[in-house]
Amino acid sequence: MKKSDTPVKIRSNVEDMVRKTMKDFVDKEVIPIAREYDEQAKFPDHLFKQLGDMGLFGIRYPRDAGGSGGNTTLYCIAMQELARGLMSLGATVAMQCLMATNGLYLYGTPELHERYLYPALKGEKKGAFQLTEPDAGSDLKAVSTRATRTADGWVINGMKTWATSGPRADFHTVLCQTDPSKGLKGLGFFLVPSDTPGFSFSKPFDLLGTRSSSISEIYFSDCHIPAHHHLGQEGQGLSVLLKILAEIRIMTASLALGLHRAAMDDSVQYCKQRTAFGQPIGNYQLIQAKIANMAVNLEAGQLMVDKVTHLIDNGRSCLNEASMAKYFTVESACAAADEATRIFGGYAYSMEYSVQRYYRDNRFLLYGGGTHEVLQTTIGREILSK
Amino acid sequence: MKLVVLVKQVPNTTRVKLDPKTGNLIREGLESIVNPDDLHALEAALGIKEETGGTVTALSMGPPQAVDALTQAIGMGADKGILLCDRAFAGADTWATSLTLSRAIRKLGEVDLIICGHQAIDGDTAQIGPQVADWLGLAQATYVKEIEHLTPADPDKPGKPGEIIVKRRLENGVERLACQLPALVTVIKELNQPRYAHMERLITACTDKADILVWNAADIGVNTCDVGLEGSNTHVIKTFTPNFKRQKEILEGSRQEVVAELFDRLKKSDTTLSGKFQGRPS
Amino acid sequence: MTIWIDQDNCDGCKRCQRVCPYEGIALMDGVARVTDRCTSCGACVEVCKNEAITSDITPRAVPDFSEHKGVWVFAEQTDGVLADVGLELLGKARELARDLNETVSAVLMGQDVAGLCDTLAVHGADTIYLVQDPLLKEYRTIAHANVMETLVNNYKPSILLIGATALGRDLAPRVSRRVGSGLTADCTELSIDVDENTEGSKILWQTRPAFGGNIMATIANRYSRPQMATVRPGVMEKTIVENVNAEIIRISPTLNEGDIKTRILERVKELPKGTDITQANVIVAGGRGIKGKEGFEMLGKLAALLGGELACTRLIVEQGIMAQGSQVGQTGKTVRPEIYIACGISGAIQHRAGMMGSRYIIAINTDPGAPIFDVANWGIVGDVHEIVPEMIAQLSQKGSLS
Repeated sequence: MKKSDTPVKIRSNVEDMVRKTMKDFVDKEVIPIAREYDEQAKFPDHLFKQLGDMGLFGIRYPRDAGGSGGNTTLYCIAMQELARGLMSLGATVAMQCLMATNGLYLYGTPELHERYLYPALKGEKKGAFQLTEPDAGSDLKAVSTRATRTADGWVINGMKTWATSGPRADFHTVLCQTDPSKGLKGLGFFLVPSDTPGFSFSKPFDLLGTRSSSISEIYFSDCHIPAHHHLGQEGQGLSVLLKILAEIRIMTASLALGLHRAAMDDSVQYCKQRTAFGQPIGNYQLIQAKIANMAVNLEAGQLMVDKVTHLIDNGRSCLNEASMAKYFTVESACAAADEATRIFGGYAYSMEYSVQRYYRDNRFLLYGGGTHEVLQTTIGREILSK
Repeated sequence: MKLVVLVKQVPNTTRVKLDPKTGNLIREGLESIVNPDDLHALEAALGIKEETGGTVTALSMGPPQAVDALTQAIGMGADKGILLCDRAFAGADTWATSLTLSRAIRKLGEVDLIICGHQAIDGDTAQIGPQVADWLGLAQATYVKEIEHLTPADPDKPGKPGEIIVKRRLENGVERLACQLPALVTVIKELNQPRYAHMERLITACTDKADILVWNAADIGVNTCDVGLEGSNTHVIKTFTPNFKRQKEILEGSRQEVVAELFDRLKKSDTTLSGKFQGRPS
Repeated sequence: MTIWIDQDNCDGCKRCQRVCPYEGIALMDGVARVTDRCTSCGACVEVCKNEAITSDITPRAVPDFSEHKGVWVFAEQTDGVLADVGLELLGKARELARDLNETVSAVLMGQDVAGLCDTLAVHGADTIYLVQDPLLKEYRTIAHANVMETLVNNYKPSILLIGATALGRDLAPRVSRRVGSGLTADCTELSIDVDENTEGSKILWQTRPAFGGNIMATIANRYSRPQMATVRPGVMEKTIVENVNAEIIRISPTLNEGDIKTRILERVKELPKGTDITQANVIVAGGRGIKGKEGFEMLGKLAALLGGELACTRLIVEQGIMAQGSQVGQTGKTVRPEIYIACGISGAIQHRAGMMGSRYIIAINTDPGAPIFDVANWGIVGDVHEIVPEMIAQLSQKGSLS
């Protein structure tokens, strides 16, 4: 036996470790409270704080920007686990990690970083990302919230709807029109702190799903903000969005994978416990077929997501692949939640079981990150254009 | 303060499955976790480090994949990890394991406090802590539910060692114990709420930058015949699955009779609690 | 250290697979193969009839232990009161000593504890090593370990049994390390292997649960003495012997306060806070058959007597009688205690799913057709409000007897 002259290096797999950590967190902290918070439509602020302490919000940012030095793959793994526990939490955290902070990270001044980005990555400040208007969703040309130049900055007027975290965020990254005559070339993102005079919000919407997330309308009435709150160059709003569009879609796909996994795990367990005609229902082939379909779609979706996150982390463009992954995983998750309700039979109809929550929460994924009607169109168009 | 925490990678026994045909444990796909009590030990060490300063070293013995336990420990805040990994360490009983661990601790130099979990869920022996303490000739405090006070040794007063005051959870009460440093304490879950790993630390811990060393038998200066299976005094002769068949027996008779019958059956069963149902020997 | 299997000589008899304690052998294509779980212990080599298994392990010599004789029990005492477990172990020790044709000794340490010797003798000690010193007044690890080490080295027992109490589990590992002997924790069964009756060295077989009670392992200590084991309180049975004539050997230890390294500041009675039901060893659970809060107070009494926790079905939570955290079942918690006593619970699958992993299930229900009886080890058909008070009565009676 020799002493090891060249020290042996043994290291853990980072993806496994992030998943394990998040899985542990979700099993111990999220799942036990999910029903209560969903029923009472309240957001688990204490878990948000805890995730901030864990450095999760900075997972896709480099260390020198106050991040945790991870990447999109690790970000998406974490989102898969969170969504397995509670979609409302997963969706809110996903926004904090990406859309609410990315513009700030790329274009914010050092002062803005100090004031908003670093606190946001630590979970001390809550961020939000506001795009949708009553008449503008996927159709960004129709954005009517106006940002008008003043002597020392900008003044914002207008409203946003489906504003996730509208009432609870400390700052909003808001898509505005700076020059209506230029259409898509006149868009820009603005950082609007919620203590800006003229900012207000409606009471939270009463929602079908993701009931713990607080979504409302928000209003801007002569909100004066300094010049450097304009994130990016004038008229470049669309390109700011396009930079992360693939990532937004693959994040949404990851949330879908999480929900899909939850529906499947619950179903598998139930199939083994529930008996009918003297044996566990899992012994029946029609139930096995449902489980098989869930499993195959989950596996396929996971592969699509893994491929896209890999491409993003290698700096490759992959918007169409991301759109396909989002479309496929969300449809699969909806199907899985639907099948789960059939496996659970009458019990899926009871608010006591989580299956009903998966069934309601999956609707959120259909609209967030691009409607499937738009996605199908862009996927098809992209392929036909080659 | 130089703190060492002993951590063990264990199968998650709460999710154990048995092969319905053979009754054997299905080990495939059994997830590995850091032994739950050890997380409380880590939390205790990190708390002390935050208060009084110092370093926390996580020490584990196991196969290469046990590095995950060290990665998690560093993710939580430990400064470095040491994995004792050698084929020769395999199959060790507690005597051989404690020898191995104590030699590694000795190699680390002066240590003020060693903290470990009360027991591991795969063995439930609670022996490693006291045995390591004994190898090193240290005072010990087991079943620690609260660390009340810690006075590090004052370098200006060489004759006066530091001291740790703890509360120990005993069967029907609590003992406050003052323990001379260096010492070893084993902690129970009541002590604290372990934190989760911090993402930045966790990610770094998976890279080459992580301060994780791997030591084999030669590195810690033990003879292979003293460790692992060869160095063990106890050996498993056989394992078997306890009979889990439910006999579905309905007890009949008067109220007094059925209860007496029930207690009699429990008394004769292999439960570790059978004594609760014992009366005066007949 | 390696094991080889000569595939040509293997006839797939599975003897080696059955004897392997580590699942280190698997059968593939009809012949045995070594898996990565093999620890090279060599158990398979001996049983192969076809000499298909060879190894480079040199068999470890068993030292001569003919000097080591006697079954010892550590008689734990606190404030002059003997712990029951010591007396229980004396009962077991007598059985083992009979098989070995040896005697039983108790080790009693403390200050002014000579008065306890009679009790030890009555429960089966042939010899009592009485160690009294002011420094042994209260249990302190190093003081007690020092004394035990000296005794073991001087008198060389072949077996040493210690109660698996907080005190015993603190002491035993240190003694084991000192005397260089193996220690098996929390044994549920101890017996002498009478087959291994060679050269007069009959080995102690120590059986204990492993992997959270999912498997049982029988462990032997062939290479060191004494063979040490700890046993949980209540597992073994006390016996009482007639014609008591115990020899008391008084020992004066040499102890220094300076070596002990710990000081006890105070001891206070304090019961642990109600533990999480998923951690409980005993659960008394109530369902629809329990009448209101008073009914649950009754169950609580039973749980307290058994050192267990109270739990319930979903309905009870909905009625606001108990909190959500106490609910067992599909939408509540999954529990796996040693003993689960289902009182007035019909046993719908939603509830059963949360408690099926319990080691022993006892069902009490008025309806003989209730599905809970299908998953119970023992069932009592009757009114919980009559049966449970009877259980409480019989348990409290027994408690006062010892």
